[in-house]
Amino acid sequence: MGMDIETGKLKKNAFRVTKERGKTAARVRVPGGRMQADLLEHIQKIADTYGNGTVHLTIRQGFEIPGIPYEKMPEVNRMLEPVLQGIGTKHSTPEGGYDASGTRNIMACAGSSICPYGCYDTTAFARRMEEAIYPNDLHFKVVFTGCHNDCAKVRMADFGIMGMNEPRLDPNRCISCGACVKRCEKKSVGALSVHNFTPVRNEQRCLGCGECVLACPNGAWTRSDKKLYKLTLFGRTGKRNPRLGVDFIKWVDEESIIKIVQNTYDFVHEYIDRDAPGGKEHIGYIVDRVGVHEYLKWALKDVTLNPEAEVYQPLYWTGVTYTDQPGGYHYPKVNMKN
Amino acid sequence: MGYFITVEKLDRVLKALSESYEIYGPKLFVRGGRFTDTDMIRYDKVASWEEMEWSKRSDYSFKEVLLPLRQTLFYFTEDRVKEADPERTKGALIFLRSCDLHAVKRLDAMYLRNGEADYYYSRLRKKVRFVLVGCQSAGESCFCVDMKTNVSEEYDIGLNIREGKLEVDCKWEEASALFDQNCSSKTEVAVDHVTETRTRVKIPENLSSAIAKASMWEEYSRRCIGCGRCNFVCPTCTCFTMQDMYFDENGKTGQRRRVAASCMVDGYTDVAGGGAYRRKKGDRMRFKVMHKVYDFKQREGFHMCVGCGRCDDICPEYISFSHVINRLEEGMKEVCGDE
Amino acid sequence: MNKVTNAYVPFCSEIKEVIRHTDIEYTFRMEYHGQVRPGQFFEVSMPKYGEAPISVSGIGEDTVDLTIRRVGKVTNEVFENYVGDHLFMRGPYGNGFEVEKLGGHELVIIAGGTGVSPVRGVINYFGEHSEKRDALTIITGFKSEKDILFKEDFKRWRDQMNVILTLDSGEETEEHKVGLVTKFIPELEVKDLDTAVAVVVGPPPMMRFSIMGLLDRGFKEENIWVSQERKMCCGLGKCGHCRIGDQYVCLDGPVFRYIQSKDMMD
Repeated sequence: MGMDIETGKLKKNAFRVTKERGKTAARVRVPGGRMQADLLEHIQKIADTYGNGTVHLTIRQGFEIPGIPYEKMPEVNRMLEPVLQGIGTKHSTPEGGYDASGTRNIMACAGSSICPYGCYDTTAFARRMEEAIYPNDLHFKVVFTGCHNDCAKVRMADFGIMGMNEPRLDPNRCISCGACVKRCEKKSVGALSVHNFTPVRNEQRCLGCGECVLACPNGAWTRSDKKLYKLTLFGRTGKRNPRLGVDFIKWVDEESIIKIVQNTYDFVHEYIDRDAPGGKEHIGYIVDRVGVHEYLKWALKDVTLNPEAEVYQPLYWTGVTYTDQPGGYHYPKVNMKN
Repeated sequence: MGYFITVEKLDRVLKALSESYEIYGPKLFVRGGRFTDTDMIRYDKVASWEEMEWSKRSDYSFKEVLLPLRQTLFYFTEDRVKEADPERTKGALIFLRSCDLHAVKRLDAMYLRNGEADYYYSRLRKKVRFVLVGCQSAGESCFCVDMKTNVSEEYDIGLNIREGKLEVDCKWEEASALFDQNCSSKTEVAVDHVTETRTRVKIPENLSSAIAKASMWEEYSRRCIGCGRCNFVCPTCTCFTMQDMYFDENGKTGQRRRVAASCMVDGYTDVAGGGAYRRKKGDRMRFKVMHKVYDFKQREGFHMCVGCGRCDDICPEYISFSHVINRLEEGMKEVCGDE
Repeated sequence: MNKVTNAYVPFCSEIKEVIRHTDIEYTFRMEYHGQVRPGQFFEVSMPKYGEAPISVSGIGEDTVDLTIRRVGKVTNEVFENYVGDHLFMRGPYGNGFEVEKLGGHELVIIAGGTGVSPVRGVINYFGEHSEKRDALTIITGFKSEKDILFKEDFKRWRDQMNVILTLDSGEETEEHKVGLVTKFIPELEVKDLDTAVAVVVGPPPMMRFSIMGLLDRGFKEENIWVSQERKMCCGLGKCGHCRIGDQYVCLDGPVFRYIQSKDMMD
């Protein structure tokens, strides 16, 4: 008897149609990229029992366990239960595996719990975001990175969240060693100058990367208590027009970011091309079609931005486009309706 | 005479003393550290015992109370100079550990002797009383025993931290009266001190400036980043630089101040015309280490380093000062041969 | 604690005269009443520049000469039209040269560039008091003709002592020779090397090689005097910048016996 499976369903259940006939791959999401190490045991067991004994570490900080016969999916889902519970992934059916795979695993760099540069606990925020938007079938990519080094490459995601930290200077602790100014000049954006032997911060230019705080030998620069972020929009890889996400709001708070991302789901529901292949259309392309103005109306609906937040405008994306010009390639190009 | 005292009653004593003394102690600055969500302990004004943090050694020392990091000396206009008012007019009551109390002696050596007494230091040093807080155990990087700073007698009030209460030894009359009022139970109190530390140092007896030729310093040219943290946290580092800052563009009115300086930081030895001494970090390391465990003693008769270990703990490059001291013996062998 | 005076507050001093040596080096003759020795220094306040340690290059009745090198845009200000105006200064600091310790014997003074400033008073003293010393030779070196300081003095000095004025480069003339100061050390005529005294002041390499030359010539280590230039900041033995080993140049120096300073490691 030939195999009869509804591929759409299994995809939503976080399995993949692989190139090997009869075999699927199970995908495990690890929001924030961190998990208890003992959960790895279950992944190993699934790979050894039903898969081909290998595990692929996915680009988006998950696990992909290949070589699983389609008929073993229920068993695999049963074995995944402790992993879903351990990681805290919401799912409607106990031992039924994942409810959706459209909204991708929410990634995070190591963040402030490990990395000296991290301006916040990236994993914690990623989990909070996961809580707010998953499960959902819409194709959303949200990535968290601790600072402007952007090790997590948030500018290639639909929503990129970078940690910012407003440095505070206590001039009475400044001993004019110049370390902060030099560091900002060499490693960041050169937002510090010196007046009367004391650093002066160009607030417009400052990224809030925290390099000055790290460089200061005397605790003259410290971090503000409030955790604020930069939100970047609609970076993407892919075929038609790969591009980096642009700065949307700086010094924005957690609540606003979560609300903006949630609002974007409503926008996509409204405007997605129902005839798109597989019913999938990336948000950025929808915005390209509909216009930024309309998008912002949806995104900022009922959002009360924190007083520190500064919205960039207008927003322009560039990136690579392909044309019939000699070489067939054009870069950069402003291709947005604003 | 010694006393048992509760924290509440000690606070009452402090409150009474605060009429004529500012009280300084190590305070926890939540999220005041370099890294996100890390804290810092440094000296600040406090009003009560609970405000002070004794579970860990303060990252920065008490010295900032007597030597403000930035201190205005005077204001000037085109033809007049006006001395700056003192930062503090009241006396000061400083809570500190034995190593730091020994450091006071080093600051005094530098600022009250070594040439004329320093005007601004003398001003802040007047009417300063010290509360020695006993150490029941040594920190990981402490090496006070080897530096002979683990025991202090020159305190005004000695204090032991006990379960649910404190023990006090008071050598200072003004405060004794207050303790008498607040304490019923009296006892003999000896301030706690440690008699051994995990970190040990040995300063070679034949140490001399010949050590400059040892190869060990080259390693520090590679490892040290010259940030000066070791100097800034040190309770015995006293260097400063003068700064004139101007309130107006023509540079006619302004203030002159002095600002803490570090022999590890670029610019410390720059002379007009572009010259500088000790360009290599290894040379700076040698200069600093030798001052702490050799040069100062040549001049004053006792070591500058008090073995508090702050420099070991603050170094972002994991350069251990105590380890450098312990390498000196090998370095002397290298430059002098086995003698 | 005894009453402590505030040594940081400068006094206001009138500029009596400005003597221009080169485009960038002027001597300011400042009003000063008090004891001062050649080789000591004052901390001079420069508007918008801060303080600078300046050696005493001459001592007059109620005046001291401070020879200042123009270090940049800001000090240019000090160089323009300042006669009759004032500068803030404090000092004198350091031990300076004690002529009593240098006198009585043959004396050689070797100075390079601005190093002539701190010994100018010594040269003047022994020039005028030939009875206080045996033969006196000065070897002074400058980069080129336009860098020569105290040109007027040399005219007088030539009558009073044996003067070797040398330039690093250029043409040899009646007035000056060409070559580094060290070139002339082996030729020095000395009657009694056991008692002959030498003074060396100048940039560190020049001092190092001159001392080597003097030792080779047979001078005794204990009879050589040097003036150490280091970063001076407070002048009071407090700020630490000028420390070398256990010595504070501003307190214990800048004048040292070579035998004492040779082991001082920066």
